[in-house]
Amino acid sequence: MDDKEKSAELLMANKKLALLNSQNEKRTAQLLIANKELAFQNKEKEKRAAELLIANEELAFQNKEKEKRAAELLIANKELAFQNKEKEKRAAELLIANKELAFQNKEKEKRAVELFDSHKEVDELEIRVKERTVDLESFSYSVSHDLRSPLRAINGYANMLEEDYGNSLDDEGKRLLAEVKGSAKKMGALIDDLLEFSRLGRKGLAKSRLDMNKLVDTVLIEIKKSTAHKAEITLRKLLPAVADYNLMQHVITNLVSNAIKYSSKKEKPLIEIKSERKNGAIVYSIRDNGVGFDMRYAHKLFGVFQRLHSDEEFSGTGVGLAIVQRIIHNHDGKVWAESKEGQGSIFYFSLPDLTVK
Amino acid sequence: MENKKIEILLIEDNLKDAELTIRALRKSNMNNHLIHLKNGAEALEFLFGTGKYEGRNISNKPTVILLDLKMPKVDGFEVMIQIKVNESTKSIPVVVLTSSKESSDIERAYLLGANSYIVKPVEFDEYMNVVTDLGLYWLLKNQPPVYINKQKP
Repeated sequence: MDDKEKSAELLMANKKLALLNSQNEKRTAQLLIANKELAFQNKEKEKRAAELLIANEELAFQNKEKEKRAAELLIANKELAFQNKEKEKRAAELLIANKELAFQNKEKEKRAVELFDSHKEVDELEIRVKERTVDLESFSYSVSHDLRSPLRAINGYANMLEEDYGNSLDDEGKRLLAEVKGSAKKMGALIDDLLEFSRLGRKGLAKSRLDMNKLVDTVLIEIKKSTAHKAEITLRKLLPAVADYNLMQHVITNLVSNAIKYSSKKEKPLIEIKSERKNGAIVYSIRDNGVGFDMRYAHKLFGVFQRLHSDEEFSGTGVGLAIVQRIIHNHDGKVWAESKEGQGSIFYFSLPDLTVK
Repeated sequence: MENKKIEILLIEDNLKDAELTIRALRKSNMNNHLIHLKNGAEALEFLFGTGKYEGRNISNKPTVILLDLKMPKVDGFEVMIQIKVNESTKSIPVVVLTSSKESSDIERAYLLGANSYIVKPVEFDEYMNVVTDLGLYWLLKNQPPVYINKQKP
């Protein structure tokens, strides 16, 4: 070989090298650019990483917010759940209340029906009471007229017999006739008292404030006019009453007359009339020192036709006290009596204290 | 009966009461010129000259009429109405003499024009006294009504 071939080979190798070098330089340049690109991209990546970091922090923050919200929602749900329970309770209570209302409405309807029925009952009762009153009125009218007529005849003919034929009668005949007359008189008194008793049931009360001392004085004067008696009557200061004047007069007349009658056999008949306030009522009392009565029969005192003494001892119809009781009961008061046989009696009657406002 | 002046017209269906009334009037000599009729219908016939009293001189009017209220068929109230409504009889004093003490009867009697209302007592003495008083009052003390004859052409 020669040097030319070696130089050509070296030249070739140098050209190859030079080519390689320029390729390497290109490559290096490329690499440089690629590096720059890489560096740029790295920078971008870093930006992006930074952004991602921020975004992450943002996300993390939002996640925290979401958790807060989730926690709040949880509480809110619990609250809702609780309120739902409350609502259900309330709904249940309302249901019960409705049932209760429905039940009460049924009761109201029942009551309304009962009221209607009882109103009808009251109306019917009123009608019956009216009928009874009419019956009673025609009954007492009958008593008033029909019974009195033959009674008048008995009296009349007995007396005419006595007037026209009294001289032809011996003592026994006269006695028999006297019995007829006496019984007729008694029957008259009974009829009068019975009528009075039945009338009282129908009369209404005309109540007013009464000066009881004045009333008793009036009664005492009237009694003195019709019956001579030697009773010493002590009239204490009496409390005023709110009652029917005429009916009270009747009561006092009866009780005082009784006191006089049943003490008439005593040497010194004493009668005391007084009053006192007791338990919201005013109690009037008439005391006598007369023959008294057996307390075992006190419950019979005020019955109609009930007497605790024989007609021979003391005459009477047995209606007087029944009338007194009726009057006092009509005034919402009470009547009662105490007694010691042989020593006397006290008759009491009470009236509600209406004088106190 | 037709010519003598009638003093008392007693309209009473109860014969026993009538006997008592007449006896009382007799005791005080006032039972003369007394006519007793036993029911309302007959009393009206008598007063107005109808029926069995057709032709009676009806200007012979009683001085007083004693009128019972409770009579069958034509009762005292109806008789009273007729008496007090008719010109010829309305002046005659009518004394209701009845056993009824009912206020309704008393009210009605006076409303119809009764001049007096007496309840027949049950006691004999009282009955006698009341009737005697009635007779004395209406026949002797009271001035009876005057009937002035107006001649109608």
